[in-house]
Amino acid sequence: MDSRRDFLKQISAAALVAGATPSLLARALAQGQAVEVPGEDGMVLRSFRFVDLESPVEYFNTWLTPAPHFFVRNHMHEPSELDAHDWRLTVSGEVEKSLTLSLAELSRIENHPVVNTLECAGNGRSLHRPQVPGIQWGKGAVGTARFSGPRLRDILQRAGVKSTGKHVMFRGLDEVPGKVPPFIRSIPIEKALDADTLIATHMNGSPLTKHHGFPARGLVPGWIGAASCKWLTEIKVLDAEFVGNFMSPGYRLPNQPVKPGDAVKPEDTHPVTALTVKSVIAGPSDGAPLKPGKVVVHGAAWAGEANIAKVENSTDAGATWAPAKLGRDQAHYAWRLWSYDWKAAKTGDYTIQSRATDSQGRTQPATAVWNPSGYLYNAVDQVNVHVA
Amino acid sequence: MFMSLKVFTTPFGIVIPTGASHSRRECEAMWRNLLFLARTFAAIALFALSSAVAQAQKPAPANPTADLPAGTMQAKATTACTECHEARIILQQRLSKAAWTKEVDKMTKWGAVVDPADRDALIDYLSTNFSPDQPAYEPQRTAADKSNSGKTK
Repeated sequence: MDSRRDFLKQISAAALVAGATPSLLARALAQGQAVEVPGEDGMVLRSFRFVDLESPVEYFNTWLTPAPHFFVRNHMHEPSELDAHDWRLTVSGEVEKSLTLSLAELSRIENHPVVNTLECAGNGRSLHRPQVPGIQWGKGAVGTARFSGPRLRDILQRAGVKSTGKHVMFRGLDEVPGKVPPFIRSIPIEKALDADTLIATHMNGSPLTKHHGFPARGLVPGWIGAASCKWLTEIKVLDAEFVGNFMSPGYRLPNQPVKPGDAVKPEDTHPVTALTVKSVIAGPSDGAPLKPGKVVVHGAAWAGEANIAKVENSTDAGATWAPAKLGRDQAHYAWRLWSYDWKAAKTGDYTIQSRATDSQGRTQPATAVWNPSGYLYNAVDQVNVHVA
Repeated sequence: MFMSLKVFTTPFGIVIPTGASHSRRECEAMWRNLLFLARTFAAIALFALSSAVAQAQKPAPANPTADLPAGTMQAKATTACTECHEARIILQQRLSKAAWTKEVDKMTKWGAVVDPADRDALIDYLSTNFSPDQPAYEPQRTAADKSNSGKTK
């Protein structure tokens, strides 16, 4: 009887719903609980204490990344107290005259804007094989913003850098737990004196938020995020690279590629500085079900201190490549948005890839260079989609 | 088999088969009623599921940090590690025993309080629960920020 068969079907459906409830609920409970982090919007939570947040790649559809969508990387706890009135920035070391500047004094120095793509050195770490320790960033520890503030060189010129000054050290107000070494790093004097290296106080036209270093941060354009010290309070000109955990062994790459397990001597390493060439697919999402017809593949590409020359896409797992159209917005240190109109003529499974090439002739490799700390992952990006 | 079912009427007027014999028309009516019950049950189950999911998607302000997995070293690992950072930093790692050994020794140097007698058990606990062959960690998301539309000036 039809009604009986319907009944049995309905009972099966009901049983399926009832039976599936615990596992679906478990997934919802594991993934669905959204954690409140004030000022942040739908970010991937890598850590709550201390705060480490990653942008979902689908956010990479605007040239400038809004602050609530901009990745947050903290090595320590954020300063528990920040008072703009009491805040001071000191400049000392290999200088003729030490300085102490208030935020009001800093704001009176000529302001300079720089649109910069800031990327954590460990962005993509989770994609290295074998896996390496550290925050397991996916593809989204990167963002682009218009930073502004006085040039570091204008401040250094007021202090008068001595000829012995070779490196410039930044110290922030982040709070160090246990016996963890403080997050102090330095940059070479040449980069410190570059016209685009800032003490940034603003991001996308608004004062920096606490997560992004209020009231002032270093902004070392084209370089790894770790160079751009947040909650800056001390600048010190040194006669050599700063000696500390976050200069060595932290943030160093082997001079030659190494295999997992190889011992690397400190003298066979160099500091990670400028970012490398890279592109990421923002859409369609990995695993997306698509319909036959036009599919707009889009994303962002950047190259640190270099410019993006071209982005190519493949929809046949790398057998053939076609040029993407680069977005109109561009600036020296900023990413280019790109898009590619793909005609998905036939149903089936596809691997879509993106590959950027920069003005220095560097092209994203098929496999990133493995290194013990998982820095600068930049393999050709890819997503798998199903057209039906 | 169902032809021999008896029925009784529920307070809502729904006929439930109980074992007595009935005509074909009665049987069809009975199955229609059962079909209605099944649909109602399915609807209630779906509603309960969606409510539970909606509930689960609400922010959990009370305890935004995660916990380490059960095990004999859970309490000691929690004390040693989460003094400085929360458990998620550990939950997302997928490392070999050699790599976990390096991490435990580095963190001990950086202030994690680990009794030397517990070191090996702690390394075993971490390398068993967070080895490269474990499934990938599924991170949570932060809540939508209602105070900011996300517009860039």
